[in-house]
Amino acid sequence: MKLTNYKYRSPGFPRFGNRHVPITLFMMLLSLYTFAQQTVKGVVKDQNGIPIAGATIIEKGTTANGISTGFDGDFEITTSSETAILIVSYIGFTTQEVLVNGQTFLEITMAEDTQELDEVVVIGYGTQKKADVTSAVATVKSEDFIQGNVKDAAQLIQGKVAGLTISTPSGDPTAGSQIKLRGISSLTGGTGPLVLVDGVPGSLNTVAPEDIESIDVLKDGSATAIYGTRGTNGVIIITTKSGAYNMKPTIEYNGYASMSIIANEMDFLNADELRQKWDEGYTFNGANFEDFGSSTDWVDEITRNAYSQVHNLILRGGNETTNLTASVNYRDIEGIFLKSDNKKYTGRVNVNHAMFDNKLKANMGIIVSEQQFNALGDGTSFNPYIYRQALIRNPTEPVKDEEGNWFERDVYFYDNPVGYIEETIGMNRYRNVRFDASLTYDFNDHLSVKGLYTRKGNSNIRGFYQTKNHVSTVKYGQDGFASRGTDDYVGNYGQFTLDYNQSFGDHRFTGLLGYNYEDNTNEGFWATNRRFPTDGFTYNNIGSGQGLQEGEAGMGSYKNSDKLIAFFTRVTYNYDDRYLLMASLRREGSSRFGEDNKWGYFPGVSAGWRINNESFMESATWLTNLKLRAGFGVTGINAGANYQSLSGLNYGSYFLYNGQWIRSLIPSRNANPDLKWEKKEEINIGLDFGILSDRITGSIDYYNRRTNDALYNYSVPTPPYFYGTIAANVAEVKNTGLEFLLNVTPFQTENFNWTANLTYSTNTNEIVSLSNDEFQLTNDFFDEGYTGEPIQISTHRVQEGQPIGNFFGWKSVDITEDGIWLIETPDGEIIPATEASTDDRQVLGNGLPKSYFSWNNTVRYKNWDFNINLRGAFDYQILNFSRMFYENPTISYNVLDSAFDEVYGKAVLSDVQRYVSYYVEDGDFLKIDNVTIGYTLPKDVLKFAKDFRIYATGLNLATFTSYKGIDPEVNRDGLSPGNDDRDKYPSTTTFSVGLNFTL
Amino acid sequence: MRTLIYRTHTLKKLALSLTVFSLVITGCTDLDEEVFSEVTEESFVPAESDIVSVMASAYTPLRYVMDWQGYFDVQEEPADMIVTPTRPNGWDDGGTYKRMHFHNWDNTQWQPRNTWINCFNGINSVNRVILQIENGQLPVSEEQATSIIAEMRALRALYYSMLVDTHGNVPIIASYSDELPVQSSRSEVYDFIVSELSAVISSLPEEVDQSTYGRVTKWTAYQILARVYLNAEVYTGTAQWQKCIEACDMIINSGQYTLSSSYSDIFSAQNENNAELVFAIPYDQIYAGQFNAHMKMLLPDHRLVFGMESQPWGGSSCNPQFIDSYDPNDKRLTDTWLQGDQLNASDGSVVMTLVKEMPSIYFCEFTEGYRCGKYQIEPGATGALNNDFPFMRYTEVLMMKAESLLRTGQGAAAAELVSTVRERSFDNPADAVVTAEELSGDTTVAYGTLAEDGSIDEAGDQSPVAYGRFLDELGWEFAAEAKRRTDLIRFGVYQTKNWYNHTPKGDYTTLFPIGLEELNTNSNLQQNPGY
Repeated sequence: MKLTNYKYRSPGFPRFGNRHVPITLFMMLLSLYTFAQQTVKGVVKDQNGIPIAGATIIEKGTTANGISTGFDGDFEITTSSETAILIVSYIGFTTQEVLVNGQTFLEITMAEDTQELDEVVVIGYGTQKKADVTSAVATVKSEDFIQGNVKDAAQLIQGKVAGLTISTPSGDPTAGSQIKLRGISSLTGGTGPLVLVDGVPGSLNTVAPEDIESIDVLKDGSATAIYGTRGTNGVIIITTKSGAYNMKPTIEYNGYASMSIIANEMDFLNADELRQKWDEGYTFNGANFEDFGSSTDWVDEITRNAYSQVHNLILRGGNETTNLTASVNYRDIEGIFLKSDNKKYTGRVNVNHAMFDNKLKANMGIIVSEQQFNALGDGTSFNPYIYRQALIRNPTEPVKDEEGNWFERDVYFYDNPVGYIEETIGMNRYRNVRFDASLTYDFNDHLSVKGLYTRKGNSNIRGFYQTKNHVSTVKYGQDGFASRGTDDYVGNYGQFTLDYNQSFGDHRFTGLLGYNYEDNTNEGFWATNRRFPTDGFTYNNIGSGQGLQEGEAGMGSYKNSDKLIAFFTRVTYNYDDRYLLMASLRREGSSRFGEDNKWGYFPGVSAGWRINNESFMESATWLTNLKLRAGFGVTGINAGANYQSLSGLNYGSYFLYNGQWIRSLIPSRNANPDLKWEKKEEINIGLDFGILSDRITGSIDYYNRRTNDALYNYSVPTPPYFYGTIAANVAEVKNTGLEFLLNVTPFQTENFNWTANLTYSTNTNEIVSLSNDEFQLTNDFFDEGYTGEPIQISTHRVQEGQPIGNFFGWKSVDITEDGIWLIETPDGEIIPATEASTDDRQVLGNGLPKSYFSWNNTVRYKNWDFNINLRGAFDYQILNFSRMFYENPTISYNVLDSAFDEVYGKAVLSDVQRYVSYYVEDGDFLKIDNVTIGYTLPKDVLKFAKDFRIYATGLNLATFTSYKGIDPEVNRDGLSPGNDDRDKYPSTTTFSVGLNFTL
Repeated sequence: MRTLIYRTHTLKKLALSLTVFSLVITGCTDLDEEVFSEVTEESFVPAESDIVSVMASAYTPLRYVMDWQGYFDVQEEPADMIVTPTRPNGWDDGGTYKRMHFHNWDNTQWQPRNTWINCFNGINSVNRVILQIENGQLPVSEEQATSIIAEMRALRALYYSMLVDTHGNVPIIASYSDELPVQSSRSEVYDFIVSELSAVISSLPEEVDQSTYGRVTKWTAYQILARVYLNAEVYTGTAQWQKCIEACDMIINSGQYTLSSSYSDIFSAQNENNAELVFAIPYDQIYAGQFNAHMKMLLPDHRLVFGMESQPWGGSSCNPQFIDSYDPNDKRLTDTWLQGDQLNASDGSVVMTLVKEMPSIYFCEFTEGYRCGKYQIEPGATGALNNDFPFMRYTEVLMMKAESLLRTGQGAAAAELVSTVRERSFDNPADAVVTAEELSGDTTVAYGTLAEDGSIDEAGDQSPVAYGRFLDELGWEFAAEAKRRTDLIRFGVYQTKNWYNHTPKGDYTTLFPIGLEELNTNSNLQQNPGY
């Protein structure tokens, strides 16, 4: 990363890396009394000609004569002689010596220091030099991001951070990534990390991926404790591209066009194959009952090659007092299904302003975005039911009948998918705005104060209409169905911090004291209606439907709010760059917590020992870094929903009272004044190393995290309770794991450079307990996940002493000659499935990978660059719903070709659809995920351009797996991970060509 | 000098910052929740108009009777009429219907749990209403309080009359306390029902009109009493035939009810004014849309037959052995069961043809098995019917009395009552007449398991059923009215006979197990014997 970002170069602000700072500052005062022989003026710049503010200049051979450069990189120093030598240093740049040699004006260009230890890492409420970091923190910079058509900010760093799993199971252009850090630490709280965009809570979609400069990930509890109730699932800190003072104006363009295709298609019977089956004497019920004379590829009818384009433009620049960043982003993404799309416009302006001798710094920013996509489901994007209908439809049916109507039949849950798409009109539009303002005042070089305020708002409006030719009318008499809805969110975020730093000899010390306040208010309204006089209005004249008068219209509205308030402090201490310590404490309260538990303390402490700086290691010159780290931290997960601690009453269903329907009033929630955060304690031990001039660097981390007080909805007896369940902090979950990161530069020459980056992580998860004294399960388990109609049974069991994600069902071992499953009971008895009971179920596997691997390679040859990323996950299972539902010739819908294969090489299945271990497959995979080839034009070709690169890239290119489904990267969220839902929007393979240039 | 001034400035500014800081802190630590679109117990002060809403919560759980996996399933699926085999569109459902048919359920079986949950839901609501009245939370007059409390206690007895039958040994919860409920024996529950009803019966309303429709009246209370007396031998070991007759006579002599002249009118979509409804559970397509039992029984294509605005799911049909037991002249055979050609409502064309035969519970085609068409399906019907469920009707009063008479040696009087009930169902009045001797004879249902071709596979216990023909009368009259299981147990068939794919599992199956979740949450509960 080029250190041209103002945030990393606060003039006069703590520069932890420089031992000369206090001396320099002392000298600044001394220098007021001048007695020198020559005065030298000058300016310090980086290789791009951008002035460096805050660089240290000291006369060699003295300890007292030094100074810092000003905002525009300028300096003035009086040296003891004309032949003095100046030592110029700055974080991130190689320290150099400059001979004054009688000159009175010097223009000094500093070279970037490639040593990564001097890099700056963004930690909570501040930054830290990488060498000083004592917890598990990872940084990924824009040049290392995944390239091409990414869904959101998370996908940029997919496979780049050990222990952070990012997957994109859905091909829906409106769907985001799934993120999991160090396993599942909660039963109901999810795995979503806290995302900060330039220091303010936001989302992975707050800014466009192309607008991001770097992403920092705080992994362990000692690092995230300063974020208290939201620290458990990690903190992702997004830093946007921004301008700097005295920066030459630039224009950067970044754009690409791409094409996506379905990654893998399932083989269902086509018309010819079905006719062949009929000829072979097979008969079917329902869909495939008879031949309708056509040959239709139903999946083909609803899919397309999806073309997308993305354009991003950033203007940056600044003078000595003001700098500015402005960017616009346009994304127009098509999904592989008809009417599946996502269009988004994002604009961002950020202005920094320095006043009063640069002591007062002001920042103002605006981020605005608008997103619009087609709705094929009410309030959603693509409706996966349509995809199911295309899969299961009789391929001999025509799309339309002779009269031009959609060809429909009265088969159970069986609708024409093309008609479904074409007769649905829907739109969802979202608007997001965010205003940021902050003021920083530097009292002196040791102390500064900062206040920040952000107001955020999101709103959306939705419209949905099913015409009179839609099955909702053709079959179910809706006579046109319309729905409209809107939601609105407003949030306030305020933060106040005091920063202090001081050094005494080898002792360096920083302190932080802060307060932050956050509130969120959500409200919304929706209405539905039917029986419209015409299709002409679609959803735009919802009152014209007669359903309202007939009692068939629906309507609703809601509003809720919550608050989060915290005080926090942090100190860091560095002794001689050998012993490092960081300690933080947050006291945080949430309105969601129960009356008796509004506030909690979240301490974090970590220490580091830089062994390579010890005198006894001096001889080991091959060793550039060796640091041992250890940390402990307490973090939380906030209660999931508002008002969970309060008792609730609900106006429920109606009661006929004297000829009138009166709403009943029923308890809807028990009060739980003890409700609190889910408390997680984590120990992290790590080792960082760098050898051979950092040609090989890496780190190893071990973590042990234990969540106490995990929330779950417990069944309680009524009475004494009014309502049958209560949200209570009872369960305990444990996660342990190892993370390895290795960066190697096998080749490094002027023309050829190869860097490889490997990550490997493991995770072991265990439910320690689901009960406490107050809330108990007599059996130590509960079941989760659901197969859905017609199998109708749970898929997973969550049990004490077992990991989350266990598949629990019948273990199939054989099949009878008649094609009936044979089940092995837990006692080892083998019985036909028709005689098996729910007691005969057992653990069939686990849906969460035990380890993840990634291998990223970057090769540069002259002006060419080549990237290849491999990713894999190992030792886990997937329940293949598609096979469970469609690999069965007895069902009344179209089936997979493989339905006629002999099961266990013995007989064709003739049992009902069942959840058996035959469909639980190993999910292990290795993917060639992202391959990019780029060419940067030589500087002299386009004189006006600083940088001009063209590239081609592919995403999700090849998968090596034994898994038979479309993609082994399936849903891993929640308590039933590994269920590869049969309706899942298939993942896609995407090819892009792109262009980046900077003027 | 300069340094000093500089420092003073710094200190001043710092002091100012700290002041602002502390102001911000003290001003913004309020974490009270602001509630907008919810009602919390703390903030709710009931007004007089809320009394009905509060009371309503004690009644609404009853609507689960005809809801998905409701009381209908609990009473019909384990009995000899309704069978839900695997169909082309599924219906294996994890084996739930097969377990109900085979009587090999465990304590996670959902249908019985649903009965437990909903009955206790109602019971808890009753207790809450009584508590709120007694501690003055509800603004009611003393007179109102007496009548509401009487009605609530009778309603609670109604819920217990269901639980005493399904789970037997359940906790009697007569007030809201902080203690975990303690389990009672089945006969204690029986005693509780009888004593509660006897205590409040004089305070219950006698009017039968719109104001009491769907609510517990004095006559409802007598019918609940008659029901538990009729089954007293099952519940307690001691028969109470005479008490049953007396309770029935109270209703008969009130003159409030007469037999409906038409059998099908009792089940019509607009049946709320039917003369024989003693206690109905009102449903409404819009307001109270839980009557969806028809969705479970009709075929998807019945949408075209009835001009429905929904597509039924096509699962349950009637065991052919029961169909075969009907007198062909009995109009209830066609009034109750859809059979043969099903015609399109718009053009009269044949949509499909229903056949009686049902090869196996492991697989039947959609069209195999007669479907319950007893509850009228209106044109435009959706997944929720308007028909009110006749939970207690006058015919049952006459039949309970007849059964008690028959069992106490007063066969002639019994036969006369049964013949009266049968009259509306036969074109030729002579066919309607039955004798005491006939009623005392064996059942006409040919029990035994069926092979796929419909022949008897395993006959099982073929000993005659005492008063078996009377049991048949109950079956024909009350088919698919969520009563069959109770009747089969009282006549000893449930525990002993084979039918369709079912073989008897033992006496213990006459009670359902207490649900796993219920055992988990209340350590005072002991599982029912046999489980």
